[in-house]
Amino acid sequence: MAEHMYKPARGKLAHWVPQDLIGEMSIKDLLFSNDHRHIAIKGIFTAFIMLAVGGFFALVFRAELAVPGVQFLGAKVYMTLMTMHGMVMVFGFLIPMVVSICYYMLPRVLGTDRLYWAGAAQWSYWILIAAAVLLVIGRPDFTWTAYAPMSFRTGNPLIWMGHLAIFLVAVSEFLAGAVLVRNAFSGHTKLSQTPLMAWAAGTIGLLFMASVLPLGAVGLGLLSDGLHLTNVAFFDPSRGGSVQLFLYLFWTYGHPAVYLPFVPAIAIIYTIMPRFLGHPMWSYWSGVVAFILLAIGAMPIGPHHFQPVYTISGGYQRFVQILTMLVFIPSVLHVFNWISTLFMSPIPDSARRAIPFKFMIFSIAFIVYGGATAFLNAQIAPDSDFIHNTYWIPAHFHAMFFGFVGQMAIAGFYYLFPYFTGRMYNQGMANAHFWLWQIGLFIKITGMGVAGYLYFPRWVYDYLAVSGWPEAQLFISIGGFLIGLGFLFFIVNVAWSVRHGRPAPADPWPVEFDDEMEATVAPAE
Amino acid sequence: MENALGIWGPQAALMAITASFTVLGLVMLLAAMFMKRRWKPSYTFEFAFIAVMLGLVYYADRESFNTYSVYQENLNATEKKVSGNYTGAGEQAFDRVVTVVAFQWGYGFINDKNEISRNAVVVNPGEKVLFKVISNDVIHGFNIPVAQITAEIDPDNKRELWIKAPDKPGKYLIQCVNYCGVGHAQMKAWLVVDGAEKTAALDVATGGNI
Repeated sequence: MAEHMYKPARGKLAHWVPQDLIGEMSIKDLLFSNDHRHIAIKGIFTAFIMLAVGGFFALVFRAELAVPGVQFLGAKVYMTLMTMHGMVMVFGFLIPMVVSICYYMLPRVLGTDRLYWAGAAQWSYWILIAAAVLLVIGRPDFTWTAYAPMSFRTGNPLIWMGHLAIFLVAVSEFLAGAVLVRNAFSGHTKLSQTPLMAWAAGTIGLLFMASVLPLGAVGLGLLSDGLHLTNVAFFDPSRGGSVQLFLYLFWTYGHPAVYLPFVPAIAIIYTIMPRFLGHPMWSYWSGVVAFILLAIGAMPIGPHHFQPVYTISGGYQRFVQILTMLVFIPSVLHVFNWISTLFMSPIPDSARRAIPFKFMIFSIAFIVYGGATAFLNAQIAPDSDFIHNTYWIPAHFHAMFFGFVGQMAIAGFYYLFPYFTGRMYNQGMANAHFWLWQIGLFIKITGMGVAGYLYFPRWVYDYLAVSGWPEAQLFISIGGFLIGLGFLFFIVNVAWSVRHGRPAPADPWPVEFDDEMEATVAPAE
Repeated sequence: MENALGIWGPQAALMAITASFTVLGLVMLLAAMFMKRRWKPSYTFEFAFIAVMLGLVYYADRESFNTYSVYQENLNATEKKVSGNYTGAGEQAFDRVVTVVAFQWGYGFINDKNEISRNAVVVNPGEKVLFKVISNDVIHGFNIPVAQITAEIDPDNKRELWIKAPDKPGKYLIQCVNYCGVGHAQMKAWLVVDGAEKTAALDVATGGNI
């Protein structure tokens, strides 16, 4: 069987002999082993715990928001849950999950079979855990953006833990970026022979390392301003600091931050799509160019997240507007590449049945849904009308972060599942998970978009019964609970299949057609 | 509405274009999954698509910037207020100038006689109102849904915004959209459009929509 497996044009196939890797791991392996697959498995399962916690918080406040005027959470508790939801999902689930999947796949794709600088990956993991512990103890309620000076005027004496956690996240991400860059260049091949996953790891690793510098500065500045550590105030206007400095620093990290999970998720598509279809991507160079353009464009467009006051309607704001719209092009190149690749040959029936493939197709649908509509977000005029900080923004980033990145992370997990458990997942439960998520996500994202168009403000625990608002919120809550139900199916499926699933065949992802006639249709040239 | 930032006009065209591109993408994905015919799309097709994208960026930038510039030009008047004898001809001037202090958590409105009202500002139907917004503590937002304007105010700066008040008397929502601390959800005020019917028939349900 193995000899018929697809051979990638560049690099090696992301394939291992299925084995019960988890069963063979000792506690010591799990905690401190520098084997890349052990580190990856630890990262993946930690990310799932984070997903469960962050998702549970979301369900609690979705229940709170379902009906206006009914309160079971106070403002403080609501905002703490909201802040933790954002931080846990982005820094605890999305980024570590897709980076872990890259740690798992990249050494095999490059043929090195070892993770260089694994010690740094280990430190990156444990520093992130420390940050999570600080967040749980400090319970900040300043949202993930921690805007100064609000974020050190919360009346919470432990709020400095939140600021320290921001700094630790920066350190952790810097190390992860360094590991990705080091490994991307470890394949000892010519650049033109480097697989796309390595291009992704190299460009995003550099972006990680550059963009977390301002985040580290933000964390230290908040810590200093909040605790009056120095006589110089950085961000506190009442002591001579500058809020503008904060905004520029934060969003110089904040926009690349959204690419940190985004690009590894794209890399997973480039790695597993040819595997399921049995032929290479439509265009290799289009992917390479898109990775490079995305990394270059990421940092200067941060100011589109706020309204740069000095330059309202001025040249700088317009420059940011144009650059933001131009950053669509690399994403369009990626999507174009994926859809063209799908067009090239008949889709094998084995792929149509494979859960990772299904998640991949729908994550492409969500990147189109959330990405194309975001063309409006880049423009100053609609931004100053109904987009800036209304629910339109959560609609956009839930489509991108959850609909695309989160679902690609899940696709990557389902793909790797037979390789580290030696067993297949249960198809029925996986299908239930899949459909509940697609329906729930669509309802939730669409509801958020409608609420945003009706000027529903972000970060409120209660709201007036303005026409359209309660309906939209109820809609979003229903979507949220469908996603929660899907997650239950997922957890049960994983727990059951690890022990009782069908043993995985030597090749868990064969390219097969039910109808032999179809298989004879050669892939188009 | 006469509010320059309203989504009608060029912005509506851009929303339609955006929606069509979204649908196009989803249809292409569906076709790629289910169409019988298979082929390798030509690379030229991608370059053509990028050219269309570039054209779209040019168009969107021009329209958005023009719309916003027209709105901003109204703020450049040297004489901000035309008292009593406003005829509607002077594009550059406003019927009413209000200084707004955004604070944790609420809005103070100060009129030109230095009278302060908290969380409500009374205007006449259809008049052009200039808001000079400042914040004295943290970053706040200032959003009037009925006037289709959203702005972000930070403590380092002052921002000027203008609206044309609705013609229909009533009570319209003003709200903060930037998270500004634990009282953010309560940071609301009312734009009260005074009319012959006075404010007896105030209706919460007019808050979000025209």
